[in-house]
Amino acid sequence: MAEPSAPSVRSFDDEALPHLDALYRVALRLTGDPAQAEDLVQDTMLKAYRSWRQYRPGTNAKGWLLTILRNTFINSYRRRKLEPVAMDLEAVEPHALYRAVATADPEGSFFGQLVDEKVLEAVDALPPEFREVLVLSDVEGLRYAEIAEALEVPVGTVKSRLFRARRLLQARLYEYAVEMGYIKPREGAHG
Amino acid sequence: MGDPIDCREAKERLTDYLKQELTAELAVEVHEHLVRCRSCFGRAKFEETLVQLLEARARRVTCPDALRERICALLRAEAERS
Repeated sequence: MAEPSAPSVRSFDDEALPHLDALYRVALRLTGDPAQAEDLVQDTMLKAYRSWRQYRPGTNAKGWLLTILRNTFINSYRRRKLEPVAMDLEAVEPHALYRAVATADPEGSFFGQLVDEKVLEAVDALPPEFREVLVLSDVEGLRYAEIAEALEVPVGTVKSRLFRARRLLQARLYEYAVEMGYIKPREGAHG
Repeated sequence: MGDPIDCREAKERLTDYLKQELTAELAVEVHEHLVRCRSCFGRAKFEETLVQLLEARARRVTCPDALRERICALLRAEAERS
């Protein structure tokens, strides 16, 4: 049987449609707005369909689709360019949550008390370039190399952004946990 | 294989270890450190739990049905046009 030369609707449906949830999740985290996220996913799927010939069967369709989504977002949705984040990671308390949970909550019941919205709020509060790496890696399970390709950055950059993103996320969850009284602030926490 | 790795190196490699992005040899070294070092083991567990929580919470978000239907209709229209 000959290879179909035109993009086959059927194979596109089989390969791409299962990733709609992932595309919508990432779109929502990138745009921060459900209506925009819907438009972004729709644009992404149309673009993907039209360039379906370029997809190499057997490679990671999810990574391919997320790359298109991310490029579409950057080119059409984001008003201003991502600026490098000058952030003093030492200023946040990256290990405070770990210390508090390890000492005051060895069972880790704190995690069970965290509601979805608070976790997602903490993700959304991250600087955009940290946020996208965290979402692609920790939520969608893409490999470093796949993220590096989607973002057009070296693998080392992906690793360091993920590392920082997780530290910042922990710092925010710690603040929240203290605020809600789930854990007590450490004495001399700013020392 | 060189000297066993210390806590500092284990901490540096922890994220990559949990992501299964280390070479097999390095993964073994980190693993051996974790089973020996209670403090690093605790930290690894913590980080693993945090990521699992994040994944579980974030993955509850799914594509709205109306959007799914709209996209399927658009793709049909595209296919008919070409």
